[in-house]
Amino acid sequence: MLGRIRAIAANAFREAVRDRVLYNLVLFVLLLTAAAVFLGELSGGQERKIIVDLGLSAMLLFGVFISIFVGIGLVYKEIERRTVYAIFAKPVGRGEFLVGKYLGLCLTLLVNVLAMGAGISLALMYVSRGWDPLALQIWPAILLIYFELTILTGVALLFSSFSSPALSALLTFFVFIIGNFSADLKSLATSLGSSAARIFFQTIYYALPNLATYSYITPAAHGQMPTGAGLAAAAAYALAYVIVILSAATLIFNRRNFK
Amino acid sequence: MATVILLVAGMAAVVLLARWIDSQQPAKAPEATAEDLYLSGNTVRRMSLGFNGLVADWYWMRSLQYVGQKIIDLPLEVQLDSLGQLNLTLLAPLLDTATTVDPQFREPYLYAAVVLADVDPERAIQIMKKGITANPSVWRFHQHLGYIYWKQKNFQAASETFSQGAAIPGAPPWMEAMKAKMLADGGSREVAREIYQRMYEQAEDQEVKEMARRRLLQLASLDQRDALRKVLSLFETRAGRCPASWREIEVAVRGMRFSSDAAGAPLDPSGTPYVLVKSGCDVDLGPDSEVPRK
Repeated sequence: MLGRIRAIAANAFREAVRDRVLYNLVLFVLLLTAAAVFLGELSGGQERKIIVDLGLSAMLLFGVFISIFVGIGLVYKEIERRTVYAIFAKPVGRGEFLVGKYLGLCLTLLVNVLAMGAGISLALMYVSRGWDPLALQIWPAILLIYFELTILTGVALLFSSFSSPALSALLTFFVFIIGNFSADLKSLATSLGSSAARIFFQTIYYALPNLATYSYITPAAHGQMPTGAGLAAAAAYALAYVIVILSAATLIFNRRNFK
Repeated sequence: MATVILLVAGMAAVVLLARWIDSQQPAKAPEATAEDLYLSGNTVRRMSLGFNGLVADWYWMRSLQYVGQKIIDLPLEVQLDSLGQLNLTLLAPLLDTATTVDPQFREPYLYAAVVLADVDPERAIQIMKKGITANPSVWRFHQHLGYIYWKQKNFQAASETFSQGAAIPGAPPWMEAMKAKMLADGGSREVAREIYQRMYEQAEDQEVKEMARRRLLQLASLDQRDALRKVLSLFETRAGRCPASWREIEVAVRGMRFSSDAAGAPLDPSGTPYVLVKSGCDVDLGPDSEVPRK
């Protein structure tokens, strides 16, 4: 089973590379280069902070777009091109297919995030004219961004397993937005008088991913790092959430009729 | 080839047309550029979706551009801490938003203490107090707040603020010393010198550093001019007239360890010769001096 998943994942990664998904790195490099050159004059000596804010925010934004727009196409394209018939004619389970596709995109995102992280570290060393501790201190925040993207990729895959690409993209984007407001959902749930409303908002709070946990860009720009326990909890949460959504996606996908 | 030419010609036409359209636009009214911010800091923070650091950077750079443009538009030379005349109505909301969206962003607080304190001291104090609440372990914010109170000549509040900052672990010993100095002689040049010396040592922003350097030059020059006035007064008492040139009091001036130029004129701390004014009865800065007059 692992071999089959690995083969599908490797194929999904190759497909993403062939689709020039990693070309966004060029744009990212241009953005960072411009920031490193021009920010000194515009920021009143705050170019290091702004390079981290700008770099990590761009990393998250590009990653979100890749997760959404590539994620929703992972399954849909196979169905549209009818290659899914050829795949399922072989001894490949639908769950294995989804997990393989998911891991392939996660690998693409990992390459993307690593390359961008290295770019930010280099830009920091350039503006600091040498070694800069911030170049190392940003990596836990980069890891958190990656965890967030893996969750979002799972969400995109889940929606694309039963919905059209446009609707899937929209719904995934909504999840990204609401996921960043999770703290508000929680406080809303606790502040409401009606128990039905409280249960409703609590259900939404626990059902939707708590993406605010992964938002560590701003503290990272000040040289702060999350605790080991916090990082481990965030990783465990991402893993658990991804297992849940991939299971749900598999359940839905298993019921789909391709005849 | 024809397509490339078409592309280049088309782009050139687009640029030229855009420039022509811009030139036809009426000049912006001053009130249009000072239009209030639509969103409060808290709303901006909620809407930033985890990009709050970047949003805070945007508001910070907007503050710099806003102040910078106002300084460029003003024909006079002004110091960064004397911008009250510039009508910087947007500065307080811009800095407030930047510090609400990213409460740990230190530079906007320094800007609030140095620049905003002359424009709207109450808002500057409000922003600094917000910063102290959000960053209780940062003693420098107490230094900034103490500076605002000192500029307002509220030496009691300044002393209390320095005292609170001195209690924070890692605060330097001079914070505790400032507490006593503020109460004993808050309005003296000595205290002013210490305030600007500390600001000069710690500021990361080159503009603030430069402002502190110039204020230190000014304080040194004020002391020098007081000393020179004494020499002039002594000469007038003895000779019954004011000196016609620096040569007449060159010995006395040199005795006070002043550097002087070829004409015997003493040099101010920026290296520019002082000039005799009021028929030689008083001394002033040279027209090219780097030392601020106000």
